[in-house]
Amino acid sequence: MTTSISPPDTVPEEKAATHRMPFWVNQRLGLLVLVIALSVLFGVLRPAFLDQQLVLFPLLRDIATLTVVALAQMVVLSVGHMNLAVGRMAAFGAMFAGLGYDRLGVPMQVGLLMCLAAGAAIGAVTGWLIARTGVSSFVVTLAMDFALLGLVSLMYSSLTDDAAFTTHPAGIDALRSYSLADICAGPICGSPAVPQIAQFTVLAMLALGFLYGCTRIGRELLLTGANPAAAELSGIPTGRRVLLAHTLSGLLAALAGFMAAAGTGTFRASIGDDFMLPSFLGAVLGGTLLTGGVVSVLGTLLGTALVGVIRKGLDLLGVGLESLNIYLGCVLLLALSADRIRTVVSYRKVVRST
Amino acid sequence: MSGTVLLECEDLVKVFPGVRALDGVGLRLTAGSVHALLGENGAGKSTLIKVLTGVHSPDGGRLTWNGQQVHLRSPLEATRTGIGVVHQERNLIPGFSVAENITLQNPPSHRGLVDREAMTAPAVACLAELGVDLDPQRPVRELSVAQQQLVEIAKALYTESRVLLLDEPTASLSPQETERLFEVIRRLAARGACVVFVSHKLEEVFEVCDTVTVLRDGKSVLESSPLADHTHDDIVGLMVGRAHAATEMRPRTVDHTATPTLVLDKVSTAGGHRDISLEVRPGEIVGLYGLVGAGRSELVKAVLGLDRITGGEVRVHGSPVRITSPRQALHEFGIGYVTENRKEEGVFLEQPIIRNITVTVWKRLAKALGFVSAREERDVAQDLVDRLGIRVTGLGQNAGELSGGNQQKVSLAKWLAADTKLLVIDEPTVGVDVRTKRAFHELIWDLARDGLPILLISSDLAEMVTLADRIVVMTDHRIRGELDNDRDYDRMSGRVIRLIHDRDAVRS
Amino acid sequence: MNRLNVTLGQGSWGGSALRRFSRSTAAMLLCVVVVGYVALGIASSGSFFEGPSVRVFLQYLATPILIGLAQMVALCVGQLNLAVGALGGFTACLMGVLMADHGVPAGVAVIVGLLTATAIGLATGVAIVGTQINGFIVTLATMTILLGAQYRLTGTRTVDGYSRTLRDFGTAAPLNIPLVFVTALVAAALLAAFMYRTVAGRRLLAAGGNPLAARLSGISTDRQIVAAHTLSGLLIGVAAVTATASLPGVNRSVGGDWLLPSFAAPIIGGVALTGGSIAVLGTVLAAFVTRLIDAARAQFSLDPSWVNLLIGLVVLGTVAGGRLHQTRLEKSATTDGAVLPQTGGAQ
Repeated sequence: MTTSISPPDTVPEEKAATHRMPFWVNQRLGLLVLVIALSVLFGVLRPAFLDQQLVLFPLLRDIATLTVVALAQMVVLSVGHMNLAVGRMAAFGAMFAGLGYDRLGVPMQVGLLMCLAAGAAIGAVTGWLIARTGVSSFVVTLAMDFALLGLVSLMYSSLTDDAAFTTHPAGIDALRSYSLADICAGPICGSPAVPQIAQFTVLAMLALGFLYGCTRIGRELLLTGANPAAAELSGIPTGRRVLLAHTLSGLLAALAGFMAAAGTGTFRASIGDDFMLPSFLGAVLGGTLLTGGVVSVLGTLLGTALVGVIRKGLDLLGVGLESLNIYLGCVLLLALSADRIRTVVSYRKVVRST
Repeated sequence: MSGTVLLECEDLVKVFPGVRALDGVGLRLTAGSVHALLGENGAGKSTLIKVLTGVHSPDGGRLTWNGQQVHLRSPLEATRTGIGVVHQERNLIPGFSVAENITLQNPPSHRGLVDREAMTAPAVACLAELGVDLDPQRPVRELSVAQQQLVEIAKALYTESRVLLLDEPTASLSPQETERLFEVIRRLAARGACVVFVSHKLEEVFEVCDTVTVLRDGKSVLESSPLADHTHDDIVGLMVGRAHAATEMRPRTVDHTATPTLVLDKVSTAGGHRDISLEVRPGEIVGLYGLVGAGRSELVKAVLGLDRITGGEVRVHGSPVRITSPRQALHEFGIGYVTENRKEEGVFLEQPIIRNITVTVWKRLAKALGFVSAREERDVAQDLVDRLGIRVTGLGQNAGELSGGNQQKVSLAKWLAADTKLLVIDEPTVGVDVRTKRAFHELIWDLARDGLPILLISSDLAEMVTLADRIVVMTDHRIRGELDNDRDYDRMSGRVIRLIHDRDAVRS
Repeated sequence: MNRLNVTLGQGSWGGSALRRFSRSTAAMLLCVVVVGYVALGIASSGSFFEGPSVRVFLQYLATPILIGLAQMVALCVGQLNLAVGALGGFTACLMGVLMADHGVPAGVAVIVGLLTATAIGLATGVAIVGTQINGFIVTLATMTILLGAQYRLTGTRTVDGYSRTLRDFGTAAPLNIPLVFVTALVAAALLAAFMYRTVAGRRLLAAGGNPLAARLSGISTDRQIVAAHTLSGLLIGVAAVTATASLPGVNRSVGGDWLLPSFAAPIIGGVALTGGSIAVLGTVLAAFVTRLIDAARAQFSLDPSWVNLLIGLVVLGTVAGGRLHQTRLEKSATTDGAVLPQTGGAQ
């Protein structure tokens, strides 16, 4: 008769399945097992996979960035919307950071704030358009993607000579290459595999976990996604929640853009080009529903990690880059088919018990 | 010809999550008869029709057509077998023309090409049989509700079925249109078809039908019996499950001197309401009665700010207000609205019960940073689950897994959680079984006894007579009159029907 | 007159056809196209009206029209097809590789390409119906898979040594009207005829307009979804043929920039995302508009990014404006008691 209180970094997925199904069908646990098993498998097949500095460090850095991207998608999915412009919002935000460093010579933190503000602003504009006109988020974010694709390239080509800001403010190089090994408490240092840039990911996850798990706004976001008409009639300001979801999504996308730029060292228009697919992969594999109303912050991390591990492992096994996409597409389909089977099974169980 | 059994079903079972919609239904349809299928809302009539027309496949039981067992796997198979239907839901393609909609099941075609010319003649013929004059080329999205209903019936005529099932075909028709439909039904029966007529208007049933089957709680309690053997009261008794004596409730008085909680004064809306005046006092249940499409729910939604109010005045607790959103209605004025459309607007099916109930109180529970304590939330929800007797396996259970009646209780619970000062309850017992219905009536009654003003919307006249203190009758977005309820069903129903029929006298 | 209107894509019959047309999205787009074209002609002091310019303009219009139509077919049953570009690129590369590396004659390669695209469309539809997974995700997955397959076919090279015949087809332009453009128009006309005149086409629209009603009328919505994806695949195959014929060579970037235009054309053309409505003429004209923007950019030698920016803004403006207009219409219409959901778009 009791429901468990979840720790702040996970959101209770509270589907019927969770309290009636055996533990092994829990999606997040399954993902965790899969990630670990695959890592071990790759580690056995190619011991180089476990090389902390050359493989794990860049792998974790990618996972950290892409998790934030997937979180950006997850936030809009929670209200039953989509954001096809995640990648371009990332580029848009990162551009402002680059502009700040290059032209205004601001310190790194100020540039980051400019980046986040720009992302939140463009997300807010998108959300406002959707809430105001009632047009499907798919169309609006698609058009926004178009518009930003053009705008960002235009601004880079008019502001810079070689279409990139390359000025490095103090501290950004540290972000790129420092790991926990550079933080020592006395004689004990952290692992050299964990990049410092992951701090942003952890912060984002904690914030979202708190938002969805413990607060009124988070619950209202989920209910807006579950059934907008009922939410409106229950006194939830659905328009404002939609606006908020898109603003947050823009902000997170910009954060991811900053992390990607810090990782490569240059701020250019192509940042975020390949964000769209991982954003959906991570969120959906992690158990977030496209129809809205159910999210999983931890699942999003695990989903992204799964994709990252598979990608890296296959790469090391000598599967060419070209074939990676084929496998990833298949993984997505298989994972979701398994999910579907689970839904059908739980439906049958309910019917039988009636 | 007449007397042969066309379609027979035995012991049909159909299960949905949380409810046994059909639980052993038998039915025998004979050629040349008009068969009434009766039962209260939620008794399983629509489900039975969907099973008979191949929409749902039964989970148990047998279907025989002309003595041979059949399995109807799809609507198309049912049509081919010779079973036509008018469903309760609107089933027209909005962008298609009248003619194309009528011939949708079997469009006249020539080598895969649609023959639009050949479409017109049969469509016009079907419409003419109903005595309707409509341009067959008009897209149906331009038609009124009643016209669409007639097109649906014409569509069913087009298939020339041996068995024709009509699910509440008269809900939005005028008496003249209804009378013409009855002529068509009699003509079809005379030609050797069997027409199954579903209606909650017993007068109509007694006028046109000769055989009757009554469903209750998914079971057939009276099976294919001649209608002439039964009286009006017999049938009602069978439907309700006990003699139709109005439920005895503890007495309740209304203080007529108290300031009305809600007053509508000559209100008109953008949705077409004109000159609507009514008031609800503390502890009073005011019934707003009307047929489907009369504009009752739309009026409430306009008051809640979902449509524009173009004239008149709304007063809450005596002072004029302007409500712009349900949120403002809830948080500033304490008005709650239990919607008629439970699945789409009432409950969050895929969400746990706890969230469904506490959605209205998060604002109150929220502390710094919007933190909502899980314990307080659970206390609120558990309290209401106990108070309303909602049967759940846990607060984390999804609302979609509950039966219709329990879902409705969840839908009501969130407003009780918010301590509303005025409750609007819209069709509370649609799709709810008889026992839950009774419990619901007692619940609403007791809420009013405790001083809560309630505006009750219902098209169930018996429910109105049981609960309401005054009955306001609405048709065509206008109020036709107001009656003090003396809780005598026969007298009250006569007076209400007369008020509704006056409208038709005025219109024709 | 009547027949003409039907094939042009304005499913209206009788005398009111012309009046309806004058108020439709297509009429507005037609005006934009004419005005824009004339303005460009004047700005280029007449050179834009000359044969070669017209030829180039029309030649690169074929593929946008076809991919717009392919997306429209998916939209009309309420589905999305994210794999438009990937499938087109894969098919183009497949044909290129077959011809250049394996010496397959052009005719056979084209047929293999069309069949492959259709089969992949069919498989996508079956996967959506079979697994009941959202079409968005399934086409996202097929997109990923096809991108990988395309890369595997060509690697980083550009396949250009392919059949002369196909190349000739791509450049042939009797009366300065390129054959590829004629192909696209013929495909559009056939599609319009299919949608408005055939039983199968009407079933697609019925399933998109009101799935429940269609199901109750004996139309299998599942089958319509499969059919729509198959047809969408076929149209993408045709688009791949026109692209292969017009381009100097195919490589892994073919199709990479098709996704956005494929949505832009139907949406600007007045197709609702909710399904049930199509606008063949509108989609074709919208493709014209986007091509005009591109031509104008070339004329004034602006950064190519302007095209994306402008198209994005045009789409935003169209949907926002259209939606607001519709809301106003609905408000004035509620008094008439019309309750069926508005599907919008040119029907």
